[in-house]
Amino acid sequence: MDATGRTRGVDQRGRMRVHDHAGQRRRPSGEPPALPHELGRSGKFLLLMLLYFVLVLTGFLVFPSLEGVFERLDHGRQVRITDLRSPGLTRVMLAVNGLTSTWSIRLLRWGVIIGLVVFRRWRHLFVFLGAIILTEIVAYNASTVIARSRPLGIEILTGWQGYSMPSRPLAGLAVSAVGATYALIVAGRPRSIAKWVIGIVLVILVFARVYLGVDHTTDAVMGAIFGIAVGVAMFRWFAPNDLFPVSYRRGKAAHLDIGGRRGEAIVSAIRDQLGLSVLDVKPVGLEASGGSTPLRIKIDATEHEPERFLFAKLYAKSHVRADRWYKLGRTILYGALEDEKPFQSVRRFVEYEDYTLRLLRELGVPVPRAYGIVEITPEREYLIVMEFFEGAVEIGEADIDDGVIDQGLALVRRMWDEGLAHRDVKPANLMVRDGELKVIDVFFVQVRPSPWRQAVDLANMMLVLALRSDAERVYAHALTYFSEDEIAEAFAAARGVASPTQLRNNLKQDGRDLLTEFRRMAPAREQVSIQRWSLRRVLLTVAVAFAAFFAVGLVVSNWNAFV
Amino acid sequence: MRWRRRLGTAAVVAIILSTLVSCSSRAGDASEANCPVEDGELFVLMAQSVPSATLLPCIEALPAGWTYGGSDVGSGTSTFWLDSDRGGIHAVEVALTSSCRIAGGVDVTNSTSEGGVRVYLREFTLHPFSANEYFVFPGGCVTYRFRFDGDAEPTLALEAEEAVTFGLRTVLVQEIEQDFGLTLCGAGAPPCVDGD
Repeated sequence: MDATGRTRGVDQRGRMRVHDHAGQRRRPSGEPPALPHELGRSGKFLLLMLLYFVLVLTGFLVFPSLEGVFERLDHGRQVRITDLRSPGLTRVMLAVNGLTSTWSIRLLRWGVIIGLVVFRRWRHLFVFLGAIILTEIVAYNASTVIARSRPLGIEILTGWQGYSMPSRPLAGLAVSAVGATYALIVAGRPRSIAKWVIGIVLVILVFARVYLGVDHTTDAVMGAIFGIAVGVAMFRWFAPNDLFPVSYRRGKAAHLDIGGRRGEAIVSAIRDQLGLSVLDVKPVGLEASGGSTPLRIKIDATEHEPERFLFAKLYAKSHVRADRWYKLGRTILYGALEDEKPFQSVRRFVEYEDYTLRLLRELGVPVPRAYGIVEITPEREYLIVMEFFEGAVEIGEADIDDGVIDQGLALVRRMWDEGLAHRDVKPANLMVRDGELKVIDVFFVQVRPSPWRQAVDLANMMLVLALRSDAERVYAHALTYFSEDEIAEAFAAARGVASPTQLRNNLKQDGRDLLTEFRRMAPAREQVSIQRWSLRRVLLTVAVAFAAFFAVGLVVSNWNAFV
Repeated sequence: MRWRRRLGTAAVVAIILSTLVSCSSRAGDASEANCPVEDGELFVLMAQSVPSATLLPCIEALPAGWTYGGSDVGSGTSTFWLDSDRGGIHAVEVALTSSCRIAGGVDVTNSTSEGGVRVYLREFTLHPFSANEYFVFPGGCVTYRFRFDGDAEPTLALEAEEAVTFGLRTVLVQEIEQDFGLTLCGAGAPPCVDGD
């Protein structure tokens, strides 16, 4: 530390630089992080209720003598409500209870199913069906294991089916309503309102069913809570809003909500951990991003740098899960070539991207300068902050001259020579500013990749460059950096799915058959098989096929829940 | 973190296994409909299903080749069924209702019939064997629906008839009163909180 209170460091190019520690501070032991992970009030309530029911269940099953205690307790509570019985109120309660009828629930379920089919929201549809089936199966089997009769000592005023605990109609309605909310209603205020409405309706229904003597209080509450818990857990786990947002506008909606507490946490965490004063945070480029929430952050001027923008990617646990599913899919589709271990934590995610950024920059690849990792919630959410290429345009919209073509090809050559592969070469990841090519999104970079992967990088780069120029020109330049055999290998390896979706779409829109044009120019070479079989792939494929078969079997065997 | 993954995996496996187990156990607990009626939770539910019924059907002893199939109890109707290695799946269905339509049925009540139970036979066919037998008693009716597979002998019906018998609702009412201090509303019990 020098006399002015600043420390000296070494930047990525090896030059001495000065860290401005104006706002930077270390979080002392015991102080909560920027965004502490804590259960909301509803989460705590749900957890408490679940705990209560686990205790009740254990009591019922392990200590049968407790059954009488619970019966009398529930009866006492119920009588207080049934004492209110009057002809008028009974008619109202019977009408209200109609919401838990088989037909009401089926109508709701089919409404959601049709809605999801119309909006082609397949993932939400499968999660919705899964939640319903899980609820029906568990509730049915729990009720037969507990085998609790309908309320004693009270005349039952409406129809019922089977044992009473948990209340299956309430569980079925709750999971369907919560599923409808998570699958069809936009996150934020509309969904929040819907949750309140569901909560109020369920409370009224619990009262109605207890009043009508068809459920004990515990049965009704347990059914409702169970249905809610399954619905919420299934959607949060398998279709988290930050990855699979519900939106009725074109393009993707914001991934992780960066307003409210999270927005404040981002600002304070960047200030504390990087010493940068944030003026504004905005989501950016969401259409091309699925694995993280990309942000453009406006930073206040410091003594050493003017006001500027930085780019950041917010990673959460849901992204780790998505990565796991993505890699599982790739392994099944292609086998050994994509056989790689998924990341086990968000921390590893950001650490890896930070590493690849610094590695590539050290090797002279024009990637954004890494500013560091910012902890938002330990082990749950991290932000990786890097340089924002202000004024740069995506290569798909830029003018391509010979210089840019050479830079693109040299970049692949450099990565080949260093034993690296980018693995996601597409227009959205290549920017041009003042005739200089820049590479962004280096998350998929792999060290010592398969030769096939490197070959595909070259083919994809040549295709991207040819989209804005022509195949002959790009091929001629490529011969400066690669041998004819290497180019032939690239186009023998690049087939269909080897190219990113955006690139494939752009090629389709372009109309020219650039792939064939390149193949015609390059020496003939047998196509590289992208399918590699291994025991792991076979086992995974069999396991997934079994799971799919099992899931279909469950839907078929529980079809009466829908029709 | 590793233990969390293991816990997660264990939870998934447990769910799958319990689902598999639960799917296979849908057939019902083999002993749930066994006599005496005061020993089974199913009979409390049955008694609530048809509160007016003074008798409840139960299984005395299953002859060789017969197995308990499962039950379906709801307001107004309680059913359980038996499977037979010769008569087929769902060979006999035993249903308790508050009344039955016995018009056109043949009265086959024998002299040893107890408790005012009258027996009627209707919709009788021999090949394949199919018949409805009605046991009508105060406040209720139990129907045996025989639906045997093609070659099954009609005499199998006698085995099923012997397997199923009736228990008194009043015994169950006393049992509930004794265990919980509560009333099993309906026949043989004091009045409950009503709908007025």
